[in-house]
Amino acid sequence: MTGMILRSSLASLMLMLCCIQLSAQAADDPRYNRDIRPLLAENCFACHGPDAKQRQADLRLDNRDSAIAGGALDPADWSASELLARIESDDPDLVMPPPDTQKQLSGTDKQTLRRWVVAGAAYEQHWAYVVPTRPEVPQLAGQAPLHPIDAFINRALARQALTPAAPADAETLLRRICLDLTGLPPTPEQLAAWRSDHSAAAYEKLVDQLIASPHFGERMAPAWLDVVRYADTVGYHGDQNQNVFPYRDWVIDAFNRNLPFDQFTLKQVAGDLLPNPTAEDLTASCFNRLNMVTREGGAQPKEYLAKYSADRVRTVAGAWLGSTLGCAECHDHKYDPFSTRDFYRMAAFFGDLKQWGVYQDYGYTPNPDLRGWSNDHPFPPEILVDVPYLQQRSARLAQQRDELAIAAAQRLLQSDDSKAAAAQWLAMLSQFLQQHPTGWSPLKPTTATAENSKPDEATKSDATAGFTVAADGQVSLTAEKLDSFTFTLPKTDFPIQSLRLELLPHVAGADSIHPDPSARMNLSLAWERQAADGKKSPLRIHFADAPAKQPTYFNNAEHLGIGNTWRVPGRVAAGISAVWVLDQPLELQPGEQLVITLKGTAARQLRWSASPLVPLDARTALDFGLALGQPVNRETLETAPGTARQLALAVSPSDRGALRQLEAAIRDCRDGKAWVQVSQPSDKPLTTRVLPRGDWTNETGEVVVPGIPEFLSVVVAANDTNPRGPNSDEPQLLTRLDLARWLIAPENPLTARVQVNRLWEHFFGTGLSAVLDDFGIQGQYPTHPELLDWLAVEFRESGWDTKHLVKLIVTSAAYQRGSLPSPEALQRDPKNLWLSHQNARRLEAEIVRDNALALSGLLVPDLGGPPIFPYQPTGYYSQLQFPDRDYPEQKDDRRYRRSVYMHWQRTFLHPLLANFDAPPREECTGIRNEANTPLQALTLLNDPGFLEAATGLAVLALGEPGDDRQRLERLFERTLLRKPEPAELDSLATFLTSQRGHFKTASEDAAKLPRKIPSLDPSRYDMAELAAWTSIGRALLNLHETITRY
Amino acid sequence: MHTRLNQPELLANWRRDLQRRTFLRGAGLGLGSVALNLLLGGSASTGAAPTLGDGVLSELHYPPKAKRIIHLCMAGGPSQLESFDYKPKLKELDGQPFPASFTAGQQLAQLQNTPLKAFGPQYEFRKWGTSGQEISELFPEIGGIADDICIIRSLYTEQINHDPAHAFMNSGSIIKGRPSMGSWLLYGLGCETESLPGFVVMTSNSKCGGAQPISSRQWSAGFLPSRFQGVQFQSRGAAVHYIGNPEGVCQSAQRQLIDEINQLNRLAASRYQDPELETRISQYELAARMQTSIPELTDFSSETQETLDLYGVKQPGDGSFASNCLLARRLAQRGVRMIQLYHRSWDHHGNLKNDMGIASKDVDRASAALVQDLKRLGMLDDTIVIWGGEFGRTPMGQGNGRDHHILSMCAWIAGGGFRGGLTYGTTDELGYRAAENPVSVHDLHATLLRQFGIDHKRLTYRYQGRDFRLTDVSGEIIDAVLA
Repeated sequence: MTGMILRSSLASLMLMLCCIQLSAQAADDPRYNRDIRPLLAENCFACHGPDAKQRQADLRLDNRDSAIAGGALDPADWSASELLARIESDDPDLVMPPPDTQKQLSGTDKQTLRRWVVAGAAYEQHWAYVVPTRPEVPQLAGQAPLHPIDAFINRALARQALTPAAPADAETLLRRICLDLTGLPPTPEQLAAWRSDHSAAAYEKLVDQLIASPHFGERMAPAWLDVVRYADTVGYHGDQNQNVFPYRDWVIDAFNRNLPFDQFTLKQVAGDLLPNPTAEDLTASCFNRLNMVTREGGAQPKEYLAKYSADRVRTVAGAWLGSTLGCAECHDHKYDPFSTRDFYRMAAFFGDLKQWGVYQDYGYTPNPDLRGWSNDHPFPPEILVDVPYLQQRSARLAQQRDELAIAAAQRLLQSDDSKAAAAQWLAMLSQFLQQHPTGWSPLKPTTATAENSKPDEATKSDATAGFTVAADGQVSLTAEKLDSFTFTLPKTDFPIQSLRLELLPHVAGADSIHPDPSARMNLSLAWERQAADGKKSPLRIHFADAPAKQPTYFNNAEHLGIGNTWRVPGRVAAGISAVWVLDQPLELQPGEQLVITLKGTAARQLRWSASPLVPLDARTALDFGLALGQPVNRETLETAPGTARQLALAVSPSDRGALRQLEAAIRDCRDGKAWVQVSQPSDKPLTTRVLPRGDWTNETGEVVVPGIPEFLSVVVAANDTNPRGPNSDEPQLLTRLDLARWLIAPENPLTARVQVNRLWEHFFGTGLSAVLDDFGIQGQYPTHPELLDWLAVEFRESGWDTKHLVKLIVTSAAYQRGSLPSPEALQRDPKNLWLSHQNARRLEAEIVRDNALALSGLLVPDLGGPPIFPYQPTGYYSQLQFPDRDYPEQKDDRRYRRSVYMHWQRTFLHPLLANFDAPPREECTGIRNEANTPLQALTLLNDPGFLEAATGLAVLALGEPGDDRQRLERLFERTLLRKPEPAELDSLATFLTSQRGHFKTASEDAAKLPRKIPSLDPSRYDMAELAAWTSIGRALLNLHETITRY
Repeated sequence: MHTRLNQPELLANWRRDLQRRTFLRGAGLGLGSVALNLLLGGSASTGAAPTLGDGVLSELHYPPKAKRIIHLCMAGGPSQLESFDYKPKLKELDGQPFPASFTAGQQLAQLQNTPLKAFGPQYEFRKWGTSGQEISELFPEIGGIADDICIIRSLYTEQINHDPAHAFMNSGSIIKGRPSMGSWLLYGLGCETESLPGFVVMTSNSKCGGAQPISSRQWSAGFLPSRFQGVQFQSRGAAVHYIGNPEGVCQSAQRQLIDEINQLNRLAASRYQDPELETRISQYELAARMQTSIPELTDFSSETQETLDLYGVKQPGDGSFASNCLLARRLAQRGVRMIQLYHRSWDHHGNLKNDMGIASKDVDRASAALVQDLKRLGMLDDTIVIWGGEFGRTPMGQGNGRDHHILSMCAWIAGGGFRGGLTYGTTDELGYRAAENPVSVHDLHATLLRQFGIDHKRLTYRYQGRDFRLTDVSGEIIDAVLA
């Protein structure tokens, strides 16, 4: 009996062992995709692969039939295959790979190849080129179903006999999820809420909250901006600014409102080809305009069109297909089945874009479309779009202006120093408005002299040029051929703040200022004050503007206002006017006169007026912010901001300065609108040829039409949006819209995998296939191929729902694990391929700065808008020309905005960004390096931005109750979300004491170290104390832990 | 572990480090900070100063001749016809139509769509030294070192506009994101300084016309880890961004701060077992050393008046090419691997005679002085000095100047095992095209790497599935220019 049992147990045990061995055997069989293809690709494909031009002995090894046909594999007797004979040969003339290739197979490699060949040389299609299907989620018998991600990960861990790490502790997880989803550290309030909510749903609730935050988009956008190479400058030569930031805002917004990834794709690649494209569609189509461009003199337009085209192919292939199609520009791809023809067929999709090889008009490369263009002009085509940030900022600034005006008026009316002047002004204004209800008093010239600005004319000057002045101040000039006039105007009985020039119809009732409606005028004006003795002194203009003007530019930004030169547009309706605001109110003394010189006018009917008021906007001369016609009195002054503003501008120089600063900032909001470069179909599409060896001067290549890579092709019907129309006789060509539809077609094997892999990398620090930017044969076989496919299908079938996918990933147990490797994991899986624990990651460049700003309370969390210019070392742009430029550093609150908005200068990327591995975005970039360099240390130690943040931390610390140790503990916890160890606290306390001692004796240093930040009122602090705490802030912000997410 | 280990270079480090770690454990040492330090390629003794980074090459492919290189980059493209390529025939043809047989089908820049006329050399040439090399009268001081320099007259490039031409000259490719030669050298060889960056760039301007913008991508590490990137030293003011202590912080306060940061990082190291922490500590030490060594570096007070005069330095640190040359020698003495000096003054589309006169005065004396100074210090043997632009200029006139030209250009190289006194290669009789022994940019790179002991085909980096190298898919070593 006993013996029987024993025997049967033994038998079953033997059976079990047998099974284990069998399954181990099965798992160990070489598989083509995982084991064989990497060996062949590395050692053989360069000469025996897809590139027909490089192929030796007419043998391809990258597909089975060819390998058999070429005699490398012998189906009759696998073990007699030539391939094995060659790799195992000792004869240097026979052995493969040949010794001069410097490639060599190891003994193990040869064994693996032998086992694979002998077993029948089973090929698999390259994993990434097979359309993913949804694999079964692993299910362990008798266990509750796991989160699908964990089901795959845990199965792999079990196979590797690795133990998953324990979940991260609560604070680590909180900091991790906040940084990963918003790029900002948890606030103390978030920490408190997190600590108090012990419910099972707390984590999911937090995730939902963070995904819904507008900072989600700011966090997710940079990786996409890297692949589409978004930058604020054109990259070549003069590296001028380009108008693209609304596209960046669109990307952020697309993440925030969870625009499905298929729509995200369509709008970018072909937004302009969608039916009735909206401003949003066109803004998204800026994607096609993000390639580097030039306007260098001597550049050959055709050469640059070829460069732009290749750049676009590389980017579309990199961003959506994770493929290095760019390699096929000069030759068939050496590893992947992309042909040169595929490359140019892809390029042909973009041949329809309106673009120029050189964005300027030179004598040697004429470009009539851009006649008169300079280095400062925009890069068309562009459209004008609404910018919510600018609208909000403008409204906020207007509110500040009004508050400042009211406060100023109340003070001016009450203060003994000013109340007399205020009362006098009030009386003056009441009287003025009674006489001049529009706010303008016509100035009637007493003399006018005329001359010609072109002195070769016969009538050089005509001091007796006739003029008449009507009762309403209309001046009629009779000097026919002359175009320059000097007027003298009499003293007014009010202080002049503003002057106005109206250009009136050339004859009563005409709608134009000149008989020739297309006449162009560049008016230049000079303003002088002439004393009784005839001596003249120039008057300074603060600002001038007109509702209609020819724009002028500096580095692609339209100049605000007109200064002393008013370029009147060609066809101007009569009645147009311009307003000049004087730098100082002008009160002429008896005997003094105002002298105005007006050069270059074709207008013969005009009127000068003056006002003691300043229009709210110099383009709308009649709006002074007052309820005109209403009485102006003490009460309206104290409550109506428009009136209060006029008083402050008139009588208080300091308030005038502050108001002007705000008003300049309002003007800089440019009416809440901005230009953005867009895609527009050209009426002269380019013909695309295959360029032999990529040589743009060679025109012998085949002309190609748009098409997707041959081996990936599925039937894509030319659709009715074809610009040639369904009834055209010409063959229907595929368009960018077809390309976009193919990118997101269910038959496309790459797009979903590539994007899902990119998202995975965001949360785990590495992709499931580690080489994010190459899904080709030389890329990396995924560690978890089924999981990658499952996620790709899930992404597609969820309607390309990014937030869904993100939530899926971060709610997995795998994501929430601690990041500390166990000794076992360190030993057996040092690269953490199997994800037994989370990966620690250094924060990205943008987040390094944002984190410091947020911790120190300095962060201004506004969304969107034009590029920001925080501190940058001086002189950094001194190598830039065309135009020469300085870095326009911002000193206001914009310097505390998030780094995703930082100005991205391709040729000289901000050193902080560059030092922390942000790419210059000249080229599609799928992976950022994570370096650890002394320049990073120097940045954190010495960049004024981080000193301001350190000061912010000091102010926060000193605002807390308690003694040194308590304050240190809280500041440490604020920064790192954990309590300091006793040794850490001791160390900091000693450091604080020593710094305090130092700054007590070095009081000059103590006054300098803390930086002037908005939250700091230096009068409230002992500066030595503040400086010592600033040192603490610096120490904390420099910690490796601070710039790492564990 | 958050170093991304998907790159073969890093993977190789891993393998090597794991072996070392096993060794340490076998020797009875725990897996403490020593091993963690090693994981990052640091040195075995924890007390030793870590370097900027070891090179990836464990052994050299050839016996090395050079240890460092100074590239005097004449940005804008100096005319070979007024410097190192003597063309009497062109002078005879001055003002006449340029023979179409030369130019048919060739790329032009600003001369597109204009009649082409020969423009004779604007300066005379002389024979110099015992070697009798022909050099223009504009460069008498370089003439004085004629026996030390190898002139290449048959260099050509592929890019006709400044920006791509610089990219090609520096990285061997016009596609952005490719590493520059200095970065490749650091990647392959590391550097010999523990307190300075291994690849330093400086710029200077001229008073003449002809300045063109340059881009920091010319010294970018591209897809290589950013620790290999060139660091631009400002020619004036603080040499390196963020190098100076902030206002209100004296040297000792800064040192205390760095000590405190490192102390706290050390305490965290035991908590996180994160090898990056150890590296971070060493990078702060390095930063501190840079902060103290750079003021010493840029302090010229130890240089004699005789040396200042040799270079023609009027005011040390004035941002002039001469001052930069002297600083380059100081950097070379301190173990910097590659130093690149851009002098932005050579784009002489017009007014060439005058502007070339000014630009040559800017650089002639200091370029020669650098070679002489290195020689007397015994450093020329293992230091390469290379002088040249991103492209050449047309033998056809553009008014009274010359347009960009890619089919012929000159460079000279001294030291580092190059043959002095040699003129290599020729152009056709009008200087239009390299005729005998043409040298491509890839050939030049291959030859320069050769002198560092590197086979240009074997210094590669896997990126996007391909093994990239400085010479892309071509490049032949020009043995004839080597001693």
